[in-house]
Amino acid sequence: MFDESVVFVTTQGAQIRTDGGRVVVWDVDGDDGELATFPIEKLDTINVFGGVNFSTPFVAEANDHGIVLNYFTQHGDYRGSFVPERNTIAEVRRAQYALGDEGELAIARAMIAAKIRNARTLLARKGVTGTEFLADLQARAREAGSADDLRGTEGEAAERYFSRLDETLTDGWTFESRSKRPPEDHVNSLLSLTYVMVKNEVLAALRQYNLDPFLGVLHADRHGRPSLALDLQEEFRPIFCDAFVTRLVNRGTIQHDQFTADNHLADDAFQTYLGKFDDYMQEQFTHPYFEYEVTRRKAIRQQAILLRKAITGELDEYHALEVSK
Amino acid sequence: MTGSDRVQFRDELVHVSALNEYVYCPRRFYYQRYHDEIGRPYELVDGRSKHDGQARRGGWVRERYFRSEDLGLHGKLDLIESDGDVLTPVERKRAESETYFASDEVQLAGYCMLLEAVTGEPVNVGYVYLYSTDERHSVRITDRHRETVHEIVSQIESMRVDTIPPLTDNPSKCEACSARTYCMPEETARLEPERARGTGWENPDAVSLGGEES
Ligand code: SF4
Repeated sequence: MFDESVVFVTTQGAQIRTDGGRVVVWDVDGDDGELATFPIEKLDTINVFGGVNFSTPFVAEANDHGIVLNYFTQHGDYRGSFVPERNTIAEVRRAQYALGDEGELAIARAMIAAKIRNARTLLARKGVTGTEFLADLQARAREAGSADDLRGTEGEAAERYFSRLDETLTDGWTFESRSKRPPEDHVNSLLSLTYVMVKNEVLAALRQYNLDPFLGVLHADRHGRPSLALDLQEEFRPIFCDAFVTRLVNRGTIQHDQFTADNHLADDAFQTYLGKFDDYMQEQFTHPYFEYEVTRRKAIRQQAILLRKAITGELDEYHALEVSK
Repeated sequence: MTGSDRVQFRDELVHVSALNEYVYCPRRFYYQRYHDEIGRPYELVDGRSKHDGQARRGGWVRERYFRSEDLGLHGKLDLIESDGDVLTPVERKRAESETYFASDEVQLAGYCMLLEAVTGEPVNVGYVYLYSTDERHSVRITDRHRETVHEIVSQIESMRVDTIPPLTDNPSKCEACSARTYCMPEETARLEPERARGTGWENPDAVSLGGEES
């Protein structure tokens, strides 16, 4: 249910059709015919990159089955989405809109504290020592008295964490400083790409459980920005996103010569990247609280459920994913 | 009937299939009712099958909708057998199971009561038909059944969105529960043990059902 639910289509000229209750990826331009097929009830997200089309009947089916279609450029820049109409579950939305400042802050504190904890865990796993400052900042995040306080603590933690992230990279790779757009170096380019990919995983999870992704608890609501997805993504950034990028680099999966002049991954490398990303999302780890094996993708969906339970009052607080080893 | 009438009417009366759902696990019923968290509505999961052609013989009535304000119940009876004046509802179960459950009996009792409320004739027997074994079991509807139906109807009527029913006291039900991924009983017991106090999930280590499902 969770793990095969996301599909990536990168074949240029492919068309996605519906055929007797299945989703079929069809090679329209070339001679390969049917490239892949999936049972429609299993999917909840289809990500397409560049010149990939959906047939009109398929879009109607996607709407009926609640499948989100995300459009990216061939390089992975996000373009937009088709989001099916879904009956919003009034009670869940009502509870979300009724969260007061205190309720929002409590959830945001848990997310940011977990993010800082996870940043420290990632550094520790890579043998970076002297990161006690992160433990202090985590404690400060837990006690933040206002959203501004919390943002301040988060900013400081991020800055100091990124200043040490360089040490986790193998020779020949550097992480100068976190820059957003345009990416100034290859590591930043990979980080940006990975944040977009994980943000979409988080969005899918929030939509699946009918939370409004545009109404955040910490990120300011700005028109068209999925603030709640950005909030929920925070705890995953170090352990899922940054860890994935360091793995790609340190294992030599991605090399410098695979980037174009404007710091994008070249086509082949991008294919490799997407394959690795999907594998990574389906890879299992031992859940720190539940002690069973879960895939990363399922862990993200579980956090959306836990968030929803905190919002509807089914649980007393939001239990962010904090990985301490 | 206008749209708003329909909404009201749906809110007021309890659907017979809800009796079954509620007896299985009130919490699961809550998710279904308020959070739409089971996916498909229960009625669509039942019925509609290979056996659809079978019931065209005489003496059968199919797909009749009934409601009773007095009972607070409404629902569609898939199949009613008629033998002279005696009407007998048939509840068909498509689950794998080779037996039926207390919750099925309660649902059947609800159908019988609904039928007698509408026709004015006593209905004291119902059938459960199991696809798995192709067998029909007759169930005598007792006063206990009737009381149970009344009790459950009033419990359902007094349910509120801001009070979630506790986890089931019988964790083995969770194993087969379609809401488990969302309900997270074992996980709840670990994260907020006081939420699981007094339920079968009190001590998750003792209930070794494993965490994987989905
Ligand atoms: S998982 Fe268990 S407690 Fe939760 S709704 Fe299902 S049966 Fe009830």
